[in-house]
Amino acid sequence: MIWPALILLFMFILAPAIEIFRASIFDPEFTTEHINRIFGRDIYLTILWRTIKVSLVVSVLCAVIAYPVAYFIVKRPRQQQFAFLFLIFVPMWMNILIRTYAWMVVLGREGIINSTMIALGLIDESIQMLFTSGAVYVSMIQILLPIQIVTCYSAMTEIDFDLVRAARILGASPAQALRRVFLPLSLDGTITGMIIVFMLSMGFFITPALVGGPTDLMLANLIEMQVEQLNWGFAATIAILLFTSTLLFVLVIRSLSKMLTKFLGGGNL
Amino acid sequence: MLQKLSASISRWALSAYFYLIVFYLIFPVLIIFPISLSNNTFLRFPPSNFGIRWYQTFVNDPAWMEATILSFSVAISVSILATVIGTMAVLALERRKLRFSNLLSYFMSSPLLIPHIFIALGVLIFTISLGVENSIFALIGAHTAIAIPYVVLIVGASHRQLDLTLERAARVLGAGPIRAFFAAAFPSLLPSVVAAAVFAFFVSFDELVIAQFLMNGRETLPMRIWADLRLELRPTIAAVSSLLIILTTVAMLLAELLRRRTASLTST
Repeated sequence: MIWPALILLFMFILAPAIEIFRASIFDPEFTTEHINRIFGRDIYLTILWRTIKVSLVVSVLCAVIAYPVAYFIVKRPRQQQFAFLFLIFVPMWMNILIRTYAWMVVLGREGIINSTMIALGLIDESIQMLFTSGAVYVSMIQILLPIQIVTCYSAMTEIDFDLVRAARILGASPAQALRRVFLPLSLDGTITGMIIVFMLSMGFFITPALVGGPTDLMLANLIEMQVEQLNWGFAATIAILLFTSTLLFVLVIRSLSKMLTKFLGGGNL
Repeated sequence: MLQKLSASISRWALSAYFYLIVFYLIFPVLIIFPISLSNNTFLRFPPSNFGIRWYQTFVNDPAWMEATILSFSVAISVSILATVIGTMAVLALERRKLRFSNLLSYFMSSPLLIPHIFIALGVLIFTISLGVENSIFALIGAHTAIAIPYVVLIVGASHRQLDLTLERAARVLGAGPIRAFFAAAFPSLLPSVVAAAVFAFFVSFDELVIAQFLMNGRETLPMRIWADLRLELRPTIAAVSSLLIILTTVAMLLAELLRRRTASLTST
C-alpha cells in the first residue's frame, strides 16, 4: 500500500532531482560551461554569499526572538497554552504572498508607517523603507518566526520542570537554574528550529522579489530569471549550488551546535 | 522582598514581550481588512471612503474568477489524492514490518526539506524531456508530492495513538481485514484524516513557484496575485487577501481542533 506514495515521490521528487543534475552537466553533450559561468563572474558568487548571509542572520535572529516567546507559552497552565499558540498559528497558516503583500502596505511610500509619521509631524517626507534589505529581513523574520516558535515550544514541552525545581532546591538562583538546566535541555529544539528556518530561507523567492531592492535578490530569484530566459541548464546548475550549499551549512550549524551543547553542559557554574 | 519584586517585574516583562511579538506577527495581516474596504482607486492609508468596490471588482473580473476556480479544482484534487495515498502509506509503514522502514519514512518527508524552487525546476525539466510540458496533471502530481509529508505526519501521529484491540476483536469475530479496519479503526482515525485533507488543500492552494514554472497560459490564484503585485498595488488584492485570510483561518482552525481532539481522546 506504500507503492502509490513511492511512485508519486519518485516521479515528482527523485526523478526531477536527477534531471536537474543531468541538465547541469549535459547540454546535450557533457559540458562544464555552466559551472565555469558561475565561477567566471563575481555576480553569481555574490548572490550565493548574500543568500547564505541572509539565511544565517534570519535563522539566528528567529532563534533568539522565538526563545522567550516559546518559554512564555510553555510556562502557562496546560489549558491556556492552546489559546496562546493559536495567536502564533494564525499568522503561520497565512499564505506567504499575502503576508509579503501586507508588508508592502505597511512599509510602502504611502504606507502605514510613513503616513502615520507624516500625520504626527515626525517627518516631512516619506522614508524609503520598501525595496531595501531591511524590509527583506523584517518580512522574512515575520514569516519564519512562527515556525521557530512552534518547534522550540514543542521541544520545551518535553522538558521535565522538576529538574529546574531540583536545581533551585539545591541552591541555584533562578538565573542559574535557567542557564545550567533549562537552557541546555531546550537547546536541541532551538537548533532544530534554526536548521528548518535556515533551509526554508535559503529557498526564499517571493519576499526578496517583492520587498527587496535589485541588490537583495537571492539564488531562487536568479533561478527564476534564468528559467524565464529559457536557460534551463544554467538554472539547474544554480539549483545544485543552492542545494549543496544549504546541505553544507546545515552540517556546519549542527556541528557548531554540538560544540555549544558540550560547552553549556560541562564546565563550571 | 526584593527578589519577589524582581521576579514579578521579569514576569511582566516577559508577557509584554510576548504581546509585542504577537503584534508584530498579526498586525500586518489585520491591516489588510480596512484597506480592502476602501473605495479609493489607489492604495492609501487611512482610506478616505469605505465600500465594497474592490470585492465587486474581484467577483466581476473573469481573470480573477478563472484563477480562483482553477486553484480550487487543483487544490481539491490534490487534497483527495494526497490524503488517500498518504493514509495508505501510513497504514503500510505502521502495520507492516517493512524493510528499511526508517529510510522510507525519511524519503516520505523529504519534500518538506527541499526548496519548492528546486522541485519546480526539476519537474519542469523532467516534463520537457518527456515532452509533456504545460500539463495540469504535472501540477497536481507535484503538489500532491509536497502535500504527502503533511498527511503522513498528521495521520501517522494519530495512528500511533490508536488502540488496535478493537480491530483485532473484529478480525477474530470474522470480519475481513478491510471491513475490520473501516468498522473499528477508521472512525477514530477520521478526524486526523480530515485535518490532513485540509492541510493538503492549503499546501496546493497557496503554492506559487511550482505553478508559475509548470503552467503556461492558465493562471492559479497565487499566480494572479503574484502578477498583480509585481505590476502595481491595486486594492483588489486587499479584497482577495481578506477573503483568503478568513477562509484559511476558519478551515485551519477546524483542522487543528480536529487534530487535537483525536490526540486528547486517545490519550485519556
